[in-house]
Amino acid sequence: MLYRVMDASELPRLIDAFMEKYEVVAPVKSGRSFAFEPVSSFDEIVLDYPTTLTSLKKYILPPRETLFEFNVEDADVTDYTLRIRPRVLFGAHACDINALNNLDLVFEDARYPDPYYEAHRAATMVVGINCSPAGSCFCHLLDADEVRSGYDLFLQDLGGRYLVSIGSVEAANILEAACDLREATDEDRREFRRLTRERQEAFSNDIPDIQEIPMLMDAFHKDAFWAELGERCLSCTACSAVCPTCYCFDIADVLDPDGKTGRRERILDACTSPQFALVTGGHNFRETARDRVRHRMYHKLNGFNSKHGRYLCVGCGRCVRACKADISPIEVLRFFERKGAEDA
Amino acid sequence: MSGTDETPKVVFVGLASCFGCQINITNVEKHLMDVLGQVDMRYWQLTSSDPMPDSFDVAVIEGAVTTEEAKRTVRALREGADAVITIGACAATSGIPGMSTEDHAADLAAVYGEQVPDAAGAGAIAPCAVKDVIEVDFEVPCCPIDPYDFVEVLQHALYGSNIYRRSSTLCGECKNNERGCFYGRETLCLGLVTRSGCGARCPNLGRPCNGCAGLSPDANVPQARRVAERAGVGAEALGRALRMFNQRPCADEEA
Ligand code: SF4
Ligand code: SF4
Ligand code: SF4
Ligand code: SF4
Ligand code: SF4
Repeated sequence: MLYRVMDASELPRLIDAFMEKYEVVAPVKSGRSFAFEPVSSFDEIVLDYPTTLTSLKKYILPPRETLFEFNVEDADVTDYTLRIRPRVLFGAHACDINALNNLDLVFEDARYPDPYYEAHRAATMVVGINCSPAGSCFCHLLDADEVRSGYDLFLQDLGGRYLVSIGSVEAANILEAACDLREATDEDRREFRRLTRERQEAFSNDIPDIQEIPMLMDAFHKDAFWAELGERCLSCTACSAVCPTCYCFDIADVLDPDGKTGRRERILDACTSPQFALVTGGHNFRETARDRVRHRMYHKLNGFNSKHGRYLCVGCGRCVRACKADISPIEVLRFFERKGAEDA
Repeated sequence: MSGTDETPKVVFVGLASCFGCQINITNVEKHLMDVLGQVDMRYWQLTSSDPMPDSFDVAVIEGAVTTEEAKRTVRALREGADAVITIGACAATSGIPGMSTEDHAADLAAVYGEQVPDAAGAGAIAPCAVKDVIEVDFEVPCCPIDPYDFVEVLQHALYGSNIYRRSSTLCGECKNNERGCFYGRETLCLGLVTRSGCGARCPNLGRPCNGCAGLSPDANVPQARRVAERAGVGAEALGRALRMFNQRPCADEEA
């Protein structure tokens, strides 16, 4: 990895340079919270924002996307070109970049790559920025507080200057053309380490650090705890909507009003939706909210892990705030802590 | 609007309702002729006073069942039609007419005194949803309906479809609109128990959901009460709000 240092006052010039060729999406104030939205000037961007309400997923895996168009009379697919806007996703936190990396594992799988996802991802640059943890952040407990790949640039604020990790040639060229850069000094590196330690200590101590989570998930699969969560669940799917790593979808053929032409659409779905595991013939593999909530937590903290060696949950805390029934991976960690205390 | 013998024959019937859903169908505007071109429109109560034809394939019903006569009408429609579609909250849950269910007799006495007309008196029944009287194949939800939802459901009835109507509630769609939650502002919203599908359009316009799409069959009302209590809105307020569009499922839930 290549590191350079740039003056903080140069950041607007970097944004302007991106805007020449890309749509720049960045964190902005939105109502009482924050959202990733396209911006037209540097001044709209909130650099020290707390986690946004929804994630960057919407720019790679939109809630609704046309896959192709068809003609009913000829029963044929018509020519359809997916229009993709080259974008810079600016100001992503570490958890959110790790979330994109998790989605890559699913949609850029060598055997079944997803052409739509790949097209979005290929046209998208990611510029990360350091953050300070909010009360609902627990990325540090799930190995997602640091990001080692999956970005084009990552900015670490050192006070008046940024230490920039450079991850791609494309971004390096734009950065070098727009800003004065210098080599990192020992002093910069010392400050970087100090700030990293400071951030590590800023995470909430209320969220228990549990070892061997996947193993505990298997051990307590039949515990009454899951029925308690299921009894509370509203089947509202807010959790999956805000989650940066929930990727499941449904497919629908939508006719135009004349009934002669139509579109095949991919619509994001959620396993907390009651019909998610309903199959032809009428059997529902997860009939109860208990089964559905448990499934969601297993995918986040166990299932993805056994296939890809990392948690699907990146600890961003969005579902913690979006769920009106207090259901989240944090509650699962607390449950394991209680079980551990009972055993001791 | 006429067609060949194979063109599906459609009848449109309005029961107790404001006729707003039927009118809203015309709001597909430039597509209206395209939509009507797919059917043989035999009867549209809103546009003609001709009698209902004997033979039809699809019956579209708006409004709640509030009289014995309406009961007979919907039974006849069920008998004649291959597919029955209801449109709007009145037909789906008894909707606004359903609000009178609680003390119907006293309301009548207050308005008419001794001279209660037959349609409201001897011939009247407690308002109910069409599906309380006959089996309904397709429902277009909301008050009023979204005209494009109607087109989709009509096409579903005519040609089949792989679009599945979910019973998850509204909040996921609300989050997709980048919206926070009314409960964080001590404001009641019925989205947490209302069936999804409308795209959470009211919260997206800055107004709480009134539940016009109907209570989801998987709604968790006890948890919604806890949410309302905790947010300082109060569980009674939630129950009162549910009575606007959700008399019927509320009655079911108590049974
Ligand atoms: S499960 Fe919750 S905390 Fe984990 S990544 Fe998804 S939204 Fe974030
Ligand atoms: S948690 Fe559920 S919706 Fe999210 S990715 Fe896993 S199975 Fe899909
Ligand atoms: S877990 Fe929470 S956010 Fe998710 S569906 Fe259930 S109530 Fe909604
Ligand atoms: S505002 Fe209403 S629809 Fe939106 S999340 Fe809150 S309860 Fe759900
Ligand atoms: S948000 Fe609620 S009240 Fe508004 S259209 Fe949707 S279901 Fe009806």
